[in-house]
Formats: sequence, C-alpha cells, structure tokens
Amino acid sequence: MSSTPLLQMVEGFLGVVSSRHKLITANLANIDTPGYRTQDIDFRSELQRVVSTEPGSAPLTPVAHAVPGLLQRPDGNDVNLDRESLLLAETQMQYQLGVQVVRSEFHRLLSAINEGK
Amino acid sequence: MGLFSTLEISGSALAAERARAEIVAANMANAETTRTPQGGPFRRKMAVFSGAGAAGFRLLLAGYSRLAGRGAGTVRLTNVVEDTTPAVMRYEPGHPDADPSGFVAYPNVNPIQEMVDLMGAVRAYQLNASAVTASKQMIQQSLDILK
Repeated sequence: MSSTPLLQMVEGFLGVVSSRHKLITANLANIDTPGYRTQDIDFRSELQRVVSTEPGSAPLTPVAHAVPGLLQRPDGNDVNLDRESLLLAETQMQYQLGVQVVRSEFHRLLSAINEGK
Repeated sequence: MGLFSTLEISGSALAAERARAEIVAANMANAETTRTPQGGPFRRKMAVFSGAGAAGFRLLLAGYSRLAGRGAGTVRLTNVVEDTTPAVMRYEPGHPDADPSGFVAYPNVNPIQEMVDLMGAVRAYQLNASAVTASKQMIQQSLDILK
C-alpha cells in the first residue's frame, strides 16, 4: 500500500524494471547454454498493465517471451552480448530514476509533515 | 525478492564458467599425458551447460509467482563429456608407451582450441561479474531510500 498515487505508480515501474533486470541477468548467465533463447518482457504493455490494476490486488506475473529476430549460433543459442549489456545499463538507469522519484516524494511528504520548515 | 534472486542467477553463471575454465586448464595440463588410470592417453574433456529456467516462459519470474521454483533462469554445469575425436598418433619408437609399430597415442588436445575456450570462459565470467555489480548498485540505491 503506497501513500500517494505517484508512489504507487513508481512502485509498479520499479517492479517492471527489476523483473526485466532479472531476465537480462538470466540471459547473461545462459550465454553458453546450448539451445537457450533470449527472454524479454514488453516493457510498455507490462507497465500499462501494472499501472492500470487496482491497488491491493494480487501482484501480476510479468509475461516473458522469447525475443524474435536475433542471430542464432550453431548451438541454438541466440543471446546477443551487445544487446544484453546495453539493456543492463538501461535498466540500471531506469531503476535509479525510479528510486530518485521515490526519494523526492518522501522528501516532499517530510516537508509537509514539518510544515514546510 | 526480485533483485536478490538476480544475484543467485549471476552467481550460478560465475560458478559454471569457473568450472569450465578449470576443465580447460585440466585439458591443457594433460596435453601430453599418455598414461591415465583408465589406460591409454588422456582424452579432452568438455563442459555441458544447461539452463534451469527452460520450462515455461511465464513462470520464469519466480519473484512474482509462487508456482515457479527457486533457481529459475540459473545455469549449471550438468555434465562433463569426453571428446570422441581419435588420439593423435606420433612416431616415437623409443617411447615406453609406443605401440609395436612405434607410434605413441597422444591426447586429442589442441592448445589453440583450449586457449580460445579459456578466453570465452573468462569473458563470460567478466560479463556476469558486471551483472552482479549492476544488481548490487540497484539494491544499494533501494537501501539509500531509507537514508
């Protein structure tokens, strides 16, 4: 339960970002696993789903799917190192953004509690 | 929890890649070994990796679903197999392990191939180590909200 609508939204955002981060780590971990297909989530639709659900309902399970159109190696593995490292950096930045928003929101609340002092 | 399980995933990859580097080191160390407990020359070993999260894409995100077991998305070394290519025969009539026609069976280890494999293992290890750093920073940022 989040105290403000903004916090609730950022909570959903951070949830989607961390699930994506987890998938990217799994892709990197399986870079030498024969037959492994790169997994990802559709960020936009997942975020929309999370933001549009009512507060207090059961947490949603993000849908992971195999990424189409990647070059496959002869062993059936299609993990692209550049794609994953870029996405790793991207999710890190997105997470930092979310955390900064949460912090500033808490500071705003604190300043209201302190009567703006 | 979502972020902490990423450390588990990257950790499994670090362990698997380290094991692979160890197997490569054993191959290179035994590149000239003509006697083994099983008899005959040393045979080149190869690591076989398999992913634990292969079943069910939807259940891959264990942090959100109770149905998915722990360790989804991790990788592990499931098997070490022997390379079946024939041994390299070298003509060394004076060698104690030479056959009647003077040929000695040497291991089917190609040092160049092993070096390339070692580089691959080291790079994959570095890659996963940087994924650990990224996860650690994200966890640290979350903890910094409390400050």
